[in-house]
Parts: sequence; C-alpha cells; structure tokens
Amino acid sequence: MKYSYIKPRKKSIFTSEIQLLIVFFGITIFMLFLTYFFLVFKDYRFTQDKIDMIAQRENADISIVDMEKKITYIEKQVILSESIFTKNTVLKDSIANMFDLVPQRITLSEAKLLENGLVLYGIAPNKDVYDFMLQAPLRSIFHRTYSSFYPADNGWIRFVSTNYVDKEVEVVEEEMLLEDAEMIDEDATDYEEVEYEN
Amino acid sequence: MKINISRQNIYLLSLSVILFIFVLIFSFSLLIPEGKEYRLKRAEFKKESLELRKYENFKDEVAQKLGELRSDNRHVITAYDREFDPQRFEKTHKDYFKSLNISQKTQVENKEEFNVYEVNTTSQINSPKSFYDFLDAVNKSDWIISINFPIIFKREDEMIRSSFTMKVYNNQSDSNTTASVVE
Repeated sequence: MKYSYIKPRKKSIFTSEIQLLIVFFGITIFMLFLTYFFLVFKDYRFTQDKIDMIAQRENADISIVDMEKKITYIEKQVILSESIFTKNTVLKDSIANMFDLVPQRITLSEAKLLENGLVLYGIAPNKDVYDFMLQAPLRSIFHRTYSSFYPADNGWIRFVSTNYVDKEVEVVEEEMLLEDAEMIDEDATDYEEVEYEN
Repeated sequence: MKINISRQNIYLLSLSVILFIFVLIFSFSLLIPEGKEYRLKRAEFKKESLELRKYENFKDEVAQKLGELRSDNRHVITAYDREFDPQRFEKTHKDYFKSLNISQKTQVENKEEFNVYEVNTTSQINSPKSFYDFLDAVNKSDWIISINFPIIFKREDEMIRSSFTMKVYNNQSDSNTTASVVE
C-alpha cells in the first residue's frame, strides 16, 4: 500500500470488516427469508391439496352411494327373476305331475289349472276306475274334491272333477295365533292394572 | 480509565446489534409460528390423505362388486331393460307350438320398482312335452316372464289347445340402473 501526503486515499464507511459483516448477515437473512417463503408456500400447497382431497372424498362418497344403490337394485332384479324362474319350473313340474296322475284308461278332454285348484274334464270306462285311479290320488293332494258324472254315447262316463286346496287352513292358523297374541296382551294389561292398583 | 473505541468499531457494533435484533424479531414473530402451522397442516394433510385412500379402496371394492354382479347377471339385467316385443317372442318360441297367438300387452299393477305387463296367449301343441320345453325356454328368453294361472288345456282332435297368461317384468323408466346397464 502506498502512502502519500498529496493524494490521500478516500476513507469509506464500508470497511472490509463491515463488508464481511454485511455479507454474513445478508446470507443469514436470505436463508431466513428463503425458509419462511418455503414454509408459506408449503402451507398454501397443503391447504390446496386438502381442499382437493375433500372434494375427491365427496365425489367418492357420492359414487359409492350411487354404486350401492345400483347393487341393491341389481340384487332385487336377481331375486325377483330367480323367484320367477323357480315359479315357472315348479309350474312345469306341477303340470307334468298332473298329466302323470291321469292313468291310461282315463282320457282327459280339458284341464284347468287354477291358482288354488284343478278342474278336470274327461271320460272314464266306469265310475270305479275313476274312483280308484284318479279320484283317490286327487283326494290325497287336494283338500276338497267334487266329482260329477254323466253318461257318454259309447257307454263310458264323462266326469268333471273339481279340486281345491284350502288356504283357509293357513288363515285359521293365523287367526288363532292372533287370538293368542291378543290374549297375551290382555293378560299383560291386567297385570299392569293390578300393579298400578297396588 | 479511558475506553478508546474507534468510530469504525461503533459502526460495526451497532450494525451487528441491529441485524441481530432483526433476525431475532423475524424468527420469533414470523418464522417459528409459520413453522408450527406447517407442522400442523402437514399432520392434517397426512390424515386427510389416509382417509382419502381408505375411501378410494372402499370405492374400488364396491366398484368391483358391482362389476362382478353385472357380469354374472348380464342376461337378467338386459332382460329387464328390454321392451316386450310380441312378434319377436312369437318368432323365438314358435318351434314349441303348432300355432301361437299373443295379445297386446296391458299394464297391470307395478311390483316394487318394476313395471308389470300382462299378455294373454293361446296356442296349439302336439303334446305336453312341448309345453314343458316352452317353460324351460321362457326362463332363458330375452325377457323376464312368469307364466300365470289359470292355464287351460283343451283337447281338439289330435292337438291340445292351451291358453295362459304371461306377466312380463320391466324396469321402470326412471329406474336408477336403466342407464347403467348400457354402460
């Protein structure tokens, strides 16, 4: 370094020590700001992501409810269709059984299958054949069996067999159960009254 | 005793103190609260994402179940969606009968979420076996059909005239699966 009385060197406030200090603190403050802005940015991202996730969850919720409705409906469809298919199969077996029931010697001219009964029109060699070979099995199946006869041209007999299954048996049973339930209720009421009096 | 501090050192010291105070204030007033909030939000985010993953997994399970149900019961589902067409029914099932006449469908009572139509049928068959085969075929047909009482068989020479009622089940138009089946 040169020293001179004629040309003095300029003295600055920013000496090397202060410059060093400013650089040091500058870096520190820069890092602090950087950390702060990083945290602010991450907070913002978390908030946005959370809002997105809530929206996604709501959408998932809606679609789950929708799919469960569809599942329930399809299950209903399947149950109904299975019951229909079973009913058709049972019907087929019933018709087959009905035709199997009629012996070779008896000829049917008409058969009406009703909800709770069966009406058969036909011709038999005689009443005994009808009684033993058709009426007996019919009696074992149906609750009420009515037969009427009239002579055919060839000496055979024409018959009309009307057979019903009583649903009343079930109804009577239900009524009895209801009566029992009412009696139990009455007993319970009496008991409550006695308790109340005491 | 005289303390001799140069102006240079006073500048240095005061600047250091100012900057140090600034760093302290900045840290305690902004940086640390923000850091705490960051930790809280990160925990919430993790909780939410875990919840969302559970929902997504459950949604996938339900979707898989729905897919399996649809693929297992495709025939039944499409049968409920298909409108009953008497001509097509006649064409499909005419092999079981000598003759087959089907009346126009009339709507009867609705069963739960299904429309029920009634169709009267008269036909001629060679033997009861044809009717059994027809009943088997009805269960595999393009519609959901139940054969109903009364069923009447009447002998006409060498043929049997049969008459019966069929109930056809359809989805109601505002049903929630009508569109889904097409998907």
